[in-house]
Amino acid sequence: MSNTLKTYIAAVRATLTAAMCLENFASQHVERHNKPEVEARATPEVLLAPVVISRNENEKVLIEGSINSVRVSIKIKQADEIERILCHKFTRFMMMRAENFVILRRKPVEGYDISFLITNFHTEQMYKHKLVDFIIQFMEEVDKEISEMKISLNARARIVAESVWRNDLAGRFRFG
Amino acid sequence: MILLDSYNKIIESTLRDAFESEQPETINVTAADFDGVTYTIVTPDKTRPNEIVVSMHMGCYPELQRYGADDMLRKEYDSLLHSVGSGGDSSADVVLKIDSKALPEDKESVVKKVAHLKRNALAAPFERAFNAQIAGESSELMTVNYRDEEIFFVQAQADRVTVIFSTTFKDETDRIFGKVFLQEFVDARRQPSIQNAPQVLYSPREPPLELRGVAGLRDSENIAYVTFVLFPRHFATEELRRDAISRIQMFRDYLHYHIKCSKAYMHSRMRARVDSFLKVLNRAKPEKPDDQKEKKTASGRTFKMR
Repeated sequence: MSNTLKTYIAAVRATLTAAMCLENFASQHVERHNKPEVEARATPEVLLAPVVISRNENEKVLIEGSINSVRVSIKIKQADEIERILCHKFTRFMMMRAENFVILRRKPVEGYDISFLITNFHTEQMYKHKLVDFIIQFMEEVDKEISEMKISLNARARIVAESVWRNDLAGRFRFG
Repeated sequence: MILLDSYNKIIESTLRDAFESEQPETINVTAADFDGVTYTIVTPDKTRPNEIVVSMHMGCYPELQRYGADDMLRKEYDSLLHSVGSGGDSSADVVLKIDSKALPEDKESVVKKVAHLKRNALAAPFERAFNAQIAGESSELMTVNYRDEEIFFVQAQADRVTVIFSTTFKDETDRIFGKVFLQEFVDARRQPSIQNAPQVLYSPREPPLELRGVAGLRDSENIAYVTFVLFPRHFATEELRRDAISRIQMFRDYLHYHIKCSKAYMHSRMRARVDSFLKVLNRAKPEKPDDQKEKKTASGRTFKMR
């Protein structure tokens, strides 16, 4: 199971590094405006073909490139109801703080859980390889965080269920 | 603080202060408890501040009266009880009158007794069911609408007493967390040390068999039914009985309290995780070259760049 993870991550890393070759591009439709072309989609010749890298049907990454911006959308693995709720809450939490995050997009792309938008201005201010590192680390940590939250929820539920029958503060049980 | 107390802390602390103080003072306190129950503690006569009147408003009290709550309260509070039911001179459901100058030796027990007012009122259907079961007969299905959309049922049968709660989850997240918690309640008996505890059953939307045919049950995704099965050994002694009633009547509030606590915990975890992501992202920013960096002395004055 984990050997697919390594190749998956390596493929994502390679594609991201290739897609993140960005240069400034002034808008060709409005004078003196500078828009991320992958969002505006006004000039077809500067858009690159979108690439989907999937590990299985539940986990995939969509990378759409253009001359001055890259949009990375991630679909996180959600096996059951609890994970679905936790993932939804977590991504919503992050997207509300998108201003702090700079490269995060406030709404995910249709069909995915979270999206990043990286423009040439970002790559001018930050190291490209570190940006790629960040996105890869994000993908790994989100999975870990969601399963940790699920485990802590189950542990808490177990303790709560047992405590109802406790006799006293020493923890002796009432019925046996 | 995992367990919720079955007595009301506000009443307890108000009465304790009133009893312990040298000079009785006028009191005017309105307090709320779980399940929409409100209390008022006043000293109506300003010239005699030692007379304290505690009144409780409880929406489901008329139903409890049908199951013998009046007698229960009379037995428990004896001379302190002033009136029950809204027929009397006040609109409250139960009124107690306490004279802080004429207390028995053990003041603490009076304080605790009055603080348990709600619990004692709600204990009526349980006591009736326990007594019926011990006598070997089964009782009717007793219904108490203790909250707006939530009901609990108590029924005694030949060999057991069943208590069924219907609880509503207002939120999708609450519902799913509730499912995890309730599933653990059902599975708790796997542990050898609590094998003798009452059996808990959980049914997400369908009412359990005992409730088939009961009118007035709402059907919706957000409702869950929890059944406790109590055998005679669970209410054999006075102490066990008291304990079982206290825990089971607080069950719904206990469950929702813990659901909210775990939501708060998730929130603080997510906040911590987001902070750590931000730190990683900031590592991507290169350090400013030396001639643009702001330099400061130890006392905080900045060097000016020319």
